Amino acid sequence: MTEYRSFAAVQTDLKAGSITCRQLVDHYLDRIAEQAHLNVFTQVYTDESRVQAEQVDRKLANGTAGRLAGMVIGLKDVLSHAGHGLRAGSHILDNFTAQFTGTAVERLLAEDAIVIGRQNCDEFAMGSSNENSAFGPVRNAADPTRVPGGSSGGSAVAVQAGLCLASIGSDTGGSVRQPAAFCGVVGLKPTYGRISRWGLVAYASSFDCIGPIANTLADVALLLEIMAGPDGFDSTVSTQPVGAYTQAVTAPVKPLRVAYLREGIDSEGVDPAIREATRQKLDQLRAAGHQVDAVDISLLKYLLPTYYILTTAEASSNLSRFDGVRYGYRSPDSTDLITMYKRSRTEGFGAEVRRRILLGTFVLSASYYDAYYTKAQRVRRLMQQEMERLFTQYDVLLSPTTPTTAYRLGEKTSDPLQMYLGDIFTVLANVVGYPAVSIPNGHDGSEPALPIGLQLMTPPFAEERLLTVAQSLQ
Amino acid sequence: MVADTPRSSDVQTRYEAVIGLEVHCQLLTHSKMFAADTNAFGGEPNTHVSVITLGHPGTLPKANRQAVEYAVRIGLAVGSEITRHNVFARKNYFYPDLPKGYQLSQDKGPICVGGTVPITAKDPVTGESYQTEIQLHHIHLEEDAGKSIHDGSDWTTQLDYNRAGTPLIEMVTEPCIRTADEAGQYLTEVRRLVRYLDICDGNMEEGSLRCDVNVSIRPVGATYLGTKVEVKNLNSIRNVMRAVDSEIQRQIDVTEAGGTLIQETRTFDASTGLSAGMREKETMNDYRYFPDPDLAPVVISDAWLADIEAAMPMLPSARLARFTDHYGLPAYDATLLTDAKELADYYEETCAALPTDKISPAAYKAVSNWIMGPVKGHLNEKTLRDRQFPVSASQLAALIGLVLNETVSQTAAQQVFTLMLTNLETSPADLAQQHGLIQNRNTDALQTLVESVLAEWPDKVEQYRKGKKNLLGMFVGEVMKKSKGSADPKLVNQLVVKTLQ
Repeated sequence: MTEYRSFAAVQTDLKAGSITCRQLVDHYLDRIAEQAHLNVFTQVYTDESRVQAEQVDRKLANGTAGRLAGMVIGLKDVLSHAGHGLRAGSHILDNFTAQFTGTAVERLLAEDAIVIGRQNCDEFAMGSSNENSAFGPVRNAADPTRVPGGSSGGSAVAVQAGLCLASIGSDTGGSVRQPAAFCGVVGLKPTYGRISRWGLVAYASSFDCIGPIANTLADVALLLEIMAGPDGFDSTVSTQPVGAYTQAVTAPVKPLRVAYLREGIDSEGVDPAIREATRQKLDQLRAAGHQVDAVDISLLKYLLPTYYILTTAEASSNLSRFDGVRYGYRSPDSTDLITMYKRSRTEGFGAEVRRRILLGTFVLSASYYDAYYTKAQRVRRLMQQEMERLFTQYDVLLSPTTPTTAYRLGEKTSDPLQMYLGDIFTVLANVVGYPAVSIPNGHDGSEPALPIGLQLMTPPFAEERLLTVAQSLQ
Repeated sequence: MVADTPRSSDVQTRYEAVIGLEVHCQLLTHSKMFAADTNAFGGEPNTHVSVITLGHPGTLPKANRQAVEYAVRIGLAVGSEITRHNVFARKNYFYPDLPKGYQLSQDKGPICVGGTVPITAKDPVTGESYQTEIQLHHIHLEEDAGKSIHDGSDWTTQLDYNRAGTPLIEMVTEPCIRTADEAGQYLTEVRRLVRYLDICDGNMEEGSLRCDVNVSIRPVGATYLGTKVEVKNLNSIRNVMRAVDSEIQRQIDVTEAGGTLIQETRTFDASTGLSAGMREKETMNDYRYFPDPDLAPVVISDAWLADIEAAMPMLPSARLARFTDHYGLPAYDATLLTDAKELADYYEETCAALPTDKISPAAYKAVSNWIMGPVKGHLNEKTLRDRQFPVSASQLAALIGLVLNETVSQTAAQQVFTLMLTNLETSPADLAQQHGLIQNRNTDALQTLVESVLAEWPDKVEQYRKGKKNLLGMFVGEVMKKSKGSADPKLVNQLVVKTLQ
């Protein structure tokens, strides 16, 4: 069967009658089995997806099919889907079955998307390499000795390796964009509050965004258009009207004022191949008549500390509910309430999650609250102000998505700080709540060659502009 | 010990107590503070729960507008400043009855700031009444926890999350209360207010109204604050007052014995009237408050505030004024009837159900007499709460109507009332009919009775005719007796006078 790389191609063949959804699902099921060594899916809904496919085929035949008929997707294992396991890559949710379907998934299902399975990820979406999963690491399809990025590693590889057409991930500090860059696919983090978080297992509530991963901007735009918008279950979701994202992808580009992050080119930490690929894109923009300027963000050096203080603070509280009392893992060695808490949480959570809970508890503790949490909140506000100022002069901000390409499994596991540094370019969008997308930007000179990502960022709710500009750079 | 009393009371006058109250009221909203589950007391364990209440991954809170409105109501009633931009904070601690591992509360910026509750209290020494105002520090909104049930049969704990997420307001006073009586009066007034405002049923036994007291002592005249001790587990107003007195005494005893008070939380034992310290571990907590990032701030606009104000139920003071002005009741009646909202409601409902042609100040007073007399008498007798009174307002109004249109006599009406208490389905008119209590106004029949009575007492008739006019009452009484109380005494009176002329 054809390796479909866009939903448009699938739709054409469905219309022509040359394939059925059932055949499509069977094809993906075969692919998943062939590529099992990549460890992408934590559960494959073999029978269910076949039944679903046949239902969609019938709907297509009688003209009642939704906009996503023929779209076979996978869900990162942090998205609540009623009647299905929900594990967030963690032992602490052993045997947990979701009791409700989150808003984004609900909307996709309502448009006849077919869910083929749940995808491996870093535990509670904490990680940049997908090595922090209770289900073992995910491998990069470009080079299985390398990481896929994280935390939505399984979701990116699934698209990269053709195990489904698109994935739904989540992005708290780059968890959609960074693995998309490492795997050579498109990953979008929308504006904070653009998509309801109802049904998304929380890591850091004021940063978390659901985001689509696909091969094309058109597919990412379509998925966003369907998932976005107001929702009675989430008081933090925006009531801003949903844009015509699918049309934005084909809209012409007007002359732009493009800013690029000077650090993204000049910093010693940036791989030469990435530097070069980014430069080429800037030249391409200049050649097309756009204004292109280097900019500095004065607070950049405070970005990672701010991010890690605030996200771990929120995480330490968000993860308190996993206590062994009502559901999930409870240590069999519990002797009383305190040992039940301590042992269940120590045994149920992995090392990285425990590290972040401890860090977050520390920064919120009475003696350190003002020195860390309050100060970080202040820096976050200052950064938002700085970005607001920047975007009065520019339409879009460019940088590499990551300073390096995919590294080897185990290469950075012993040095979490080194791994955190890899998030430097992606974290900004989450700290300020802006939308950003990572698009493929060539490959480096490794053998085999590894994908490079380019990141574009626009002001809040300017996803249409983001998609239009990104499309022009492909 | 009797011998110690003078010395101990002498010691007591050297100290004054500084008392603050924290009152939690469960709000009578339809649903929970941050979820759509039913908010109801009782029910089979874990039947009023949802994924939100149980803290399932991926769930988010949504603030209950009705709870916000109820909190604003009490704030307006006590003259608080209403906070327009309300942020909820997470109070983090682990306990099995706390599903999320944090309680949503208001840490900074409570919904109501300041306010006063006027009370009348008695001076413990002179016994004289005085008026004072209890100052509120703030009122904030939060959610309740579930319940841990230790049934004692083994080492297991059972959990019921029905109560988890129930909306609460916590009313915190300034440390301005000085005596147990003031504390009791304040609590009584708060309970009356929340009932009048229809925001809480004020039931302390069921825990829908809960009170913790903070007590410290200092030498009379001192301006500093002593070491504060919190006493919990107080399930009645009486126990709050007992706990305050016992804690003041304990602190005086410790101080007089040269000991040092420690800041602690104590739990009150109603059976002994004494408190015991809780383990320090349970009281030392760093709650790591921070604004809940899952919940957008609740903003109270001018329009919304105006709507809440417009929908405010009448406060006790306004009700009192209405009872004297509109119904023309004496202050004594009005005060008694408006003491409890249920009674005041019952009074007004009864007035509203009176026959339209009988509405008059006299009728309103008659309703008051009936409620303050037989109705309250029955309530005291049966120790029923006011709202559980079995006779409906329309039934009572019908009975009063029968008296007003002279269908039954006042005396017979008392008998009908007694019958009504056990015959809720039968109308007062039917009951009067069935038991022969309809007033006899048949002139011919009564004339026969009058004549037969006069015939029985010829010498008295003679005396009457000679001028002993006060014998009239005796003749009327005898006729009434013969009619078994059914005769209209006014009519009998007229007939007797006429016959003897």
